[in-house]
Amino acid sequence: MSPAAPETVDDDLWSAIGDPTRRRILDLLLADAGGTATSLSRQLPLTRQAVAKHLDVLDRAGLVRSTSVGRERQCQVDAAQLARAADQLASVGRAWDRRLHRIKAIAEAIETTRRS
Amino acid sequence: MELGSIEREIFVDASPEVVFEVVSSPDHVKQWWPDDARYSPEPGGTGEIVFGEGADRSVEQLTVVESLPPRTFSFRWTHPAGEAAEEGNSLLVTFELVPSGGGTLLRMTETGFREMGWEVAVLEQRYSEHVTGWDYYLPRIAPYVATLEVRP
Repeated sequence: MSPAAPETVDDDLWSAIGDPTRRRILDLLLADAGGTATSLSRQLPLTRQAVAKHLDVLDRAGLVRSTSVGRERQCQVDAAQLARAADQLASVGRAWDRRLHRIKAIAEAIETTRRS
Repeated sequence: MELGSIEREIFVDASPEVVFEVVSSPDHVKQWWPDDARYSPEPGGTGEIVFGEGADRSVEQLTVVESLPPRTFSFRWTHPAGEAAEEGNSLLVTFELVPSGGGTLLRMTETGFREMGWEVAVLEQRYSEHVTGWDYYLPRIAPYVATLEVRP
C-alpha cells in the first residue's frame, strides 16, 4: 500500500467534497470565479448562515481560500487542493489500469490454451 | 465539472466470450481483483468480495446489475451490508465488450463517486495497492490456466 498523501488530510479533503451541497457550492464558486456567503445563498435554497458553515468546512479542508472584503468573506476555490482531490481519483483510475491488464493477460492465456 | 467517473479501454486478443467469462465469473474475478469473490453472476445476484486476511480483512457487498453475455456485465459494490444496491449508496462498474479484429475491445466505466461521497475513492485507493501487480500476479497465471484446461 502506498497512499498518495497523509491520510488524515485526505479524509478531511474527501469528506468535504462528499457532501452534495458543498459540491454545489464549489461548482458555483468555480463558475463565478469566487463568491460570498451572501451571493451563494441567493443561488441556493440555504440561509447565509448555512452557507457560511459549509464554507468553513471547505476552508478547513483547504478547498477554498477566503479574504475579508468589508464585512464579508470573499471565497475562492483553491485550484491546487481541488487538483489533489482529482489526483486521488486518478489513482483509482491507475488501479483499474492494472486490473484491466490482468484481465487481458488472463483472457489471452485462456484463448491461447483453447486454440492449441 | 465532472470528476466522479472513471473510463478505461483495453484491447484483448481473445474472443468476447472468453473476456466475458473473465470479467463476470467470481472464480476469474478473484484472479484479477479481490482475494475472494462469492456472488451469483446473474442480474440481481448478490454476494461479497473480500480483500486481505486476518486483521486486514475487509468485505464489500456486490450486486450484479446486468449480465448480457458476451456484451455487457455490470455490478454495484461498496453498498452497506443489508441495503439494496442503488444509485447513491454504491459504485457502478460496467464492462462493455465490442468484437474488434478477432479480439475484443473491453471498456470499463466506474461511476458513483460524486453521488455517494468522495471518501469512497479513498477506500478504492486503499484496495488498489493491495495486489502489488505482476510480481504477485504472474506466478499465479500458469497454474490457473492449467486448471481451466480440465474444465469442459
